[in-house]
Amino acid sequence: MNKWLVIVMAALLASCGQAPESNVATPDTGGSRKGDFGPPQGEPIHAVLTSPPQVPAATNRKTPAKVIVELEVIEVDREIAEGVTYTFWTFGGTVPGSFIRVRQGDTVEFHLKNHPNSKMPHNIDLHGVTGPGGGAASSFTAPGHRTQFTFKALNQGIYVYHCATAPVGMHVANGMYGLILVEPPEGLPPVDAEYYVMQGDFYTVGKYREKGHQAFDMQKAIDEHATYVLFNGSESALTGPNALKAKTNQNVRLFVGNGGPNLVSSFHVIGEIFDRVQYEGGTKVQENVQTTLIPPGGAAIVEFHTEVPGNYVLVDHAIFRAFNKGALALLEVQGEPRPDIYSGKQVDEMYVGDKLVSTAPVGAAFKSRQAGTLTQAQQIQAGEVLFKGTCSACHQESGQGIPGVFPPLAKSDYLMADHKRAIGIVLNGLTGKVKVNGVDYDSVMPPMSQLNDDEIANILTFALNSWGNENGVVTAAQVKEVRATTKRAEGAAH
Amino acid sequence: MLNSQWFWKCVYGIAVAIVATAALAAPPDKEAVLQAELPGGKFETVLPPAPAVKTTRVAPFRLDRSLVTNAQFARFVKAHPEWRRERVARLFADDKYLSHWNAAGEPAGALARQPVTHVSWFAANAYCEARGARLPGWYEWEFAAAASDRAPDARNDPAWRQQILDWYSRSARGSLPPAGASPANYYGVRDLHGVAWEWVEDAGSMLVSDDGREQGDGSNRFCGVGAATFEQKENYAMLMRIAMLSSMKAAYTSSSMSFRCASGERP
Amino acid sequence: MRRLLACALMLFAFAGAAGAAENGTTSLYNLEAPLRGQDAREIGLDVYRGHPVMITMFYGSCPMACPLIIDTMRAIERDLDARQRADLRVLMVSIDPRRDTPRALAELAKTRRIDTTRWTLAQADEATVRKLAATLGIQYRELPSGEFSHASIITVLDGRGELLGQSTELGRADPKLLEVLRQAGHLK
Repeated sequence: MNKWLVIVMAALLASCGQAPESNVATPDTGGSRKGDFGPPQGEPIHAVLTSPPQVPAATNRKTPAKVIVELEVIEVDREIAEGVTYTFWTFGGTVPGSFIRVRQGDTVEFHLKNHPNSKMPHNIDLHGVTGPGGGAASSFTAPGHRTQFTFKALNQGIYVYHCATAPVGMHVANGMYGLILVEPPEGLPPVDAEYYVMQGDFYTVGKYREKGHQAFDMQKAIDEHATYVLFNGSESALTGPNALKAKTNQNVRLFVGNGGPNLVSSFHVIGEIFDRVQYEGGTKVQENVQTTLIPPGGAAIVEFHTEVPGNYVLVDHAIFRAFNKGALALLEVQGEPRPDIYSGKQVDEMYVGDKLVSTAPVGAAFKSRQAGTLTQAQQIQAGEVLFKGTCSACHQESGQGIPGVFPPLAKSDYLMADHKRAIGIVLNGLTGKVKVNGVDYDSVMPPMSQLNDDEIANILTFALNSWGNENGVVTAAQVKEVRATTKRAEGAAH
Repeated sequence: MLNSQWFWKCVYGIAVAIVATAALAAPPDKEAVLQAELPGGKFETVLPPAPAVKTTRVAPFRLDRSLVTNAQFARFVKAHPEWRRERVARLFADDKYLSHWNAAGEPAGALARQPVTHVSWFAANAYCEARGARLPGWYEWEFAAAASDRAPDARNDPAWRQQILDWYSRSARGSLPPAGASPANYYGVRDLHGVAWEWVEDAGSMLVSDDGREQGDGSNRFCGVGAATFEQKENYAMLMRIAMLSSMKAAYTSSSMSFRCASGERP
Repeated sequence: MRRLLACALMLFAFAGAAGAAENGTTSLYNLEAPLRGQDAREIGLDVYRGHPVMITMFYGSCPMACPLIIDTMRAIERDLDARQRADLRVLMVSIDPRRDTPRALAELAKTRRIDTTRWTLAQADEATVRKLAATLGIQYRELPSGEFSHASIITVLDGRGELLGQSTELGRADPKLLEVLRQAGHLK
């Protein structure tokens, strides 16, 4: 046979057997069969639990230990959004509940306490437990009492825990979930910052951001019609002064869970790519991921290295949840600019304007209106905050709109001519031809009926007093009248 | 003699006297004022009496119109000192028993008219027995509680359900309203919703699994049948009552657990 | 002499009162539970005061678990030494007072060859059954068929009625209970 043919064939055969370096697979850990490292050694350890978004330090252990975990269930009244309160049922006083960190092979002695002021009995199912109910059958605790059970953590991973008392959906929907990390025996590779984020969907009788104390709405939960989709149990949990913090050139690790009860999370960080994802919270790793799926009752570990300073927004990329239901969190990265990597200015302020600015003026204006002391200045201040979050995406912060696409509000004859018409447009949207300042526009403005009467009144008052517009006031009562006398667009919030 | 006028007047007089004496001698029927009459009947229940059996039959019974108050319970404790806070056996009540009464062991001020709480099943049972009554059975309680103010069975009315769920959305920290403050339902019974949990006679025998998701277990934990499966899973208001009752042991007390008494043939 | 008599009487009274208050605050004998044994005699829950007791609840027409409970308690007895066995008593209270009359219980004792010198099968009224079940943590419910769904729990009490241990194991002697019984033999 031809010598060259042989050489070529040999080379081909040889290359078949070689795996390219980047495809080296993570070896199997063997699961629970290989997860029992024997009886606990040394003195029992009292686990240090942390409140979100903090994560306890690594266990730094080489041998299995007995770990005592004490967790208390407390029913808490807290704000879910500005001016909106809700009765949460919590593990450890927070939503999500305290973060528990143990090592594979540890024997965990779990103490569950139920505060005497609780109205309900509660229990716990930890997804990292091998045993009936995940512990739920052994931890049913009446108010004012405590129960205890012990389990061995046979599988490594990041696991959800939640209450499993009937009706389970309601207990979960009220915030009864958290994460327990079972470290691999060799520990996780060290990083510069670790944070704990957990998504959940919430169902209230009132509309999104309807003020006052809100009750849980069972029918909406059954219909999977969420009112709020939030990270860490409130709109302001991880925004404004509560934003997560990191520096440039750091390795950041996020333990991200999804308590549900119903909605799957499409977890994404705007402006970052996940260098490593332990998808589904398991042992295998995927690299270079933009958006990862986290099912209710599931979790994932994402890691990324920071290069460029700025505000990075954590979202559920089912995007209406981010902007209309509150599924937003912030990571502020500080450091020297890197124009070689990213030249532009800070991440979209108008995108998330009202999340960087405090929403306090909105709540203050509402209270003043209720007390009858609302001033035009207060309305303008509140309206500016709201405008940035909702309207500036199209009409721009400058009020100029986009030529040929979105009409301007600045010095707009159309706006100034008829306040009542303006209210109707904000409430019900507008489709079709309009002439503004002599220019034709033929576009679609979606209805904004999810905004309440105060919010619409304040936004319009702000618009009427900005960018050279002369003056004007719109009151909540006027909005209420238009809302009552016009028909909502199909599918819009009432 | 029978023609004599005054003979008949005499008979008439004696008859009146007899009736008057009878009326004065019989004490006013306090139980009738205190309790409502419920007709019972065939009833679809959340807690099936046997697997795949959705209905049960409730015999006619009487039920207290409102919860027992602290003042009423205090009178019972005075007459039965073995139920005093410092004397009661731990077998019958835990260490929070009547802990909301003052140092002298009495319910002071506004507490007097509020539904009594921090009482164990044994204590509630003893109170009702002392009155010649008993605790209601779960089916009796469920039957009474299914009513709204205008319908005997409002359980499919979402507005009625939401109203009940609203109670669970409020924390347990506020003080209770006076007993009997809520509007009477179709049967004339008050305070069944939105006020407190209530003991029932078979609270210790709900036969449900501690894990709310179990659909009856095949094990022999209970001779005869496995743990009960809930019907009407959307009837969360009732399910939560059962969950609470099954978490409590007979000696346990709670700041949200009260009771009322029932009379009539034992269910 | 009269003073001496009065003194003695007072002492007796004290002893009597002290005897009544002898029940620790968690003793099951705090429960007034009028029972009727299979010999139709009226007895109290503390019929076996002074002895370690295995106490359980059952019903006569129970097809499976209840015969098993009897066998289990026999297995436990067999594993004790002769002295402990002689000291041990067994009290079984029926949850079905309507059908388990003293006569029916006597019949059952005969059929199952129960040693009635140390075992008692008892009937109690419905209210007492409820209360006793509550102290023992035994759940039970009558089914429409007339059968009962019930938990099978064997409880060991010491001579003063204090709860020493419980077991749900059927078919064999639970080592946990054996251990507790061996120690109970030393307590009166």
